Amino acid sequence: MDRRDFIKTAGGAFLLASSGAYAFRVLTAPSAGWMDVDFTPSGRKWGMVIDMNKCREDCTACLQACREENNVAFVNDDRYDIHWIRKARLQYKEESENPGKSVILLCNHCDNPPCAQVCPVQATYKRHDGIVIVDHHRCIGCRYCMIACPYNARYFNMKESEEWPNKDFPKRSHGVAEACNLCAHRLDAGKMPACVEACARQGCGALYVGDLNDHSSEVSRLIAKSAVKRIRPDLGTEPKVYYIGL
Amino acid sequence: MKGKPLLSPADPGQARLIVIIAVLIFVPLGFSVVSQVSRNRAESPNDFLEKPDPKYEECVRETSYMRFHHWELLRGIREEVVRYGKRSDVGLTKCSECHTSRERFCDKCHNAASLTPDCFDCHYFPK
Repeated sequence: MDRRDFIKTAGGAFLLASSGAYAFRVLTAPSAGWMDVDFTPSGRKWGMVIDMNKCREDCTACLQACREENNVAFVNDDRYDIHWIRKARLQYKEESENPGKSVILLCNHCDNPPCAQVCPVQATYKRHDGIVIVDHHRCIGCRYCMIACPYNARYFNMKESEEWPNKDFPKRSHGVAEACNLCAHRLDAGKMPACVEACARQGCGALYVGDLNDHSSEVSRLIAKSAVKRIRPDLGTEPKVYYIGL
Repeated sequence: MKGKPLLSPADPGQARLIVIIAVLIFVPLGFSVVSQVSRNRAESPNDFLEKPDPKYEECVRETSYMRFHHWELLRGIREEVVRYGKRSDVGLTKCSECHTSRERFCDKCHNAASLTPDCFDCHYFPK
């Protein structure tokens, strides 16, 4: 065997050995097994009913509870403040003595969400139970959803929240879009959203959250028996927040 | 032109077999020596890994998996929780029950490997 043959043989064997070792490592590497999600949809569709007749104009308990539950940035500066739920005063088109109604506004969790349609990275999407939610890990902060949302329910995180009242729930970093997630983490755990609980604690009980698919639930009953209105149903977004006495 | 013969048994096929077997034995041996040496380097995690507070009998996966693949596990759980609403017991909050300090259990390795995960920007973990 001459030098040339030796180098050829040894080189071939080396390639064989190293590729074999590599294949062994790859094939026997432990896998997290996250690609196969064992998941069955619950068949629920969460919706909200707001009884404006019960809501007090001067009460902001739901706003405060939301900020504390979800670590929403609030520094009393219009440039940075984020409102997952907010109160606004309706104005009449004509001059009027009537000061107009104060209404609670939040993400309507549309059945046909324009924000999810425009999201280029599928960070915003509709969950199986109808909650429109932002995956902040994916969000690139392009703000298309803020333009698409006809309800102005979306906010851009210009400045991180400095306070961290609820350590069990993450806050959001600078550069992502945010909106109400109907306290999905609480609903998954079998609890009611923070705003609903706070409203009940105040003795108003103006907010109801429940399953729209379940015809015996409180929200379905209220929608069936009262004159409910939704905001801009003509847009075809099918909002799931219903107002009584708007 | 033929060079000077390095091995000169009677059968050239036998010579080839000897070389192949020698390589198959010595190359993995060399790899294991190199990896052993690099494992014992000064900046190896083995030098500064600490035992966590024993709140539970064992971790959710074996130590060898957790040491190098915990991020895959966490990413998988994240995907299930965020996209499917399938809540899990395991998560950063659960980790922090035994691994009580971010500086002692997270940052040391991440710094040694010059990794900057942004988990802690939004998720709470005790200092």
